[in-house]
Amino acid sequence: MTALVRMRLAGFLRTGRAVAPLLAGLITLGTLYGGGRAQPAEAYGVSAVVLFPVLAWQTKILLDVEPDVQRRLAQVAVGAARERLAGLLAAGVAALVTVAVALLFPWLVGGISGPVDPGDRSIPVGLALGLWAHLLAVPAAVALGALASRASVGSAGYGVAVLALGGVGAVVLGLSGSVAPWLAPPIMATARTTGGDAAALTLLGLTVWALAWSVVVVGGYLWRRRARG
Amino acid sequence: MRLEDVWVRYHRQGPWVLRGVDVRLGPGEVAVVLGRNGVGKSTLLQVAAGVLRPGRGRVTDRPARVGWVPERFPADQPFTVARYLTGMARVAGLRGAAVDEAVTSWTDRLGLAAFRSVRLPELSKGTAQKVGLAQAMLRLPGLLVLDEPWEGLDAATRELVPELIAEVLAADGAVLVSDHRGETVRLPAARRWSVADGSLTEEAPSADEAIAVVEVAVPAARVAGTVARLRAEGHQILRVRADTSIGTPPARPAAGPVRPAGDLTPEQPAGVEGADVVVEPAAGEAR
Repeated sequence: MTALVRMRLAGFLRTGRAVAPLLAGLITLGTLYGGGRAQPAEAYGVSAVVLFPVLAWQTKILLDVEPDVQRRLAQVAVGAARERLAGLLAAGVAALVTVAVALLFPWLVGGISGPVDPGDRSIPVGLALGLWAHLLAVPAAVALGALASRASVGSAGYGVAVLALGGVGAVVLGLSGSVAPWLAPPIMATARTTGGDAAALTLLGLTVWALAWSVVVVGGYLWRRRARG
Repeated sequence: MRLEDVWVRYHRQGPWVLRGVDVRLGPGEVAVVLGRNGVGKSTLLQVAAGVLRPGRGRVTDRPARVGWVPERFPADQPFTVARYLTGMARVAGLRGAAVDEAVTSWTDRLGLAAFRSVRLPELSKGTAQKVGLAQAMLRLPGLLVLDEPWEGLDAATRELVPELIAEVLAADGAVLVSDHRGETVRLPAARRWSVADGSLTEEAPSADEAIAVVEVAVPAARVAGTVARLRAEGHQILRVRADTSIGTPPARPAAGPVRPAGDLTPEQPAGVEGADVVVEPAAGEAR
């Protein structure tokens, strides 16, 4: 199965289609950090929100690059379960690379400042919270991208609709005062937490929420794949 | 392997493409799936290979290793032939030196050696089809499923397909082939399944009825003797003609000194220089 993960990553990188989402990510990050310096926890919280749709799009592209018949050949070789898992893992690895770029980026452009007031968090704590916020976005974004992939929805139009709906929904439903925040992954709530008060129980709650949302959406993806053969 | 009461359709409310197919294919057996275009041959093959999940019914005892040669090889991939096959060998579970060994031996056998560093999208249809054959054979499969394997292949590779099938059968594997062009006459031992209106019927073994046309090139001087001998053996001679293409095809056995065929008249039945004899098994028991 590692072989299939590597083959899919290679296919994704070699087509050059990896460039589009990475470029989009860098442009939004550039705009974000161009506005001025911020403390790490706060900046990374917003960066994770911005990155969520980018990572989902990247996942959709990675899965869609492989022709349908090649996906079936992979399924014949390793079995249905491992074929699906290999796709999700390849997307997860690609997402982690993008996250690493996003975490390094503000340091290159000088977008991060140290603590200013006596009550501010130290840089290591801010970094840890930022890493956590990004890692929380990865499984949710991969799940959404997989659900929007051609293998799951069948047509390109539906895929884009699922992706847009998921991306916009995550922001709109995540605004404070939302009637149904649990319909979306907690990326907005995470940003509010890293920017404000981050109690251990809150972090745990958000982690469980993000993972549960991802599991449900991956379940939807697997169900769609099963129904479509 | 057994297909138990298999029903397949492509959409929830759509018509059933296969209806209640129930069939068994044992180790060492080969079956040819026949039928018109769009009748469900590919669907049946994909169910057998495990690519399609039947809506009702199930497939049992499918061998662990399946090789599937799709009707059209997906050439739209950013790999070279060697890289693609190396990747597929690893995906199939080969490790270390066995990977290169398998890739080298199959690219050589299928005449792909010259194309090893060519990117898949640049291959001709027939060459891409050979890559499709190679990826299925990298690790000897317990079930080989070939969807129209002769489509687009050159003469030399067409001859190779029965060889690959024989190899799988010799290792107690099973083989399922679809064909709508009558090429499967090359597989005389095959069971014949015909698909029509969603159901599958097995045609009775009919070795006597199956007729193959074998073209034989004979030195002109020996035409008369050969024709007489073939008749004596019970074959039906369809025609004797001067071969206009003689001298070019490498697959044919050399046929003596080559002369231009233009000075021959097709009506000359025997004694012409460089002639083809077309034979058929005796018609007596055949029709």
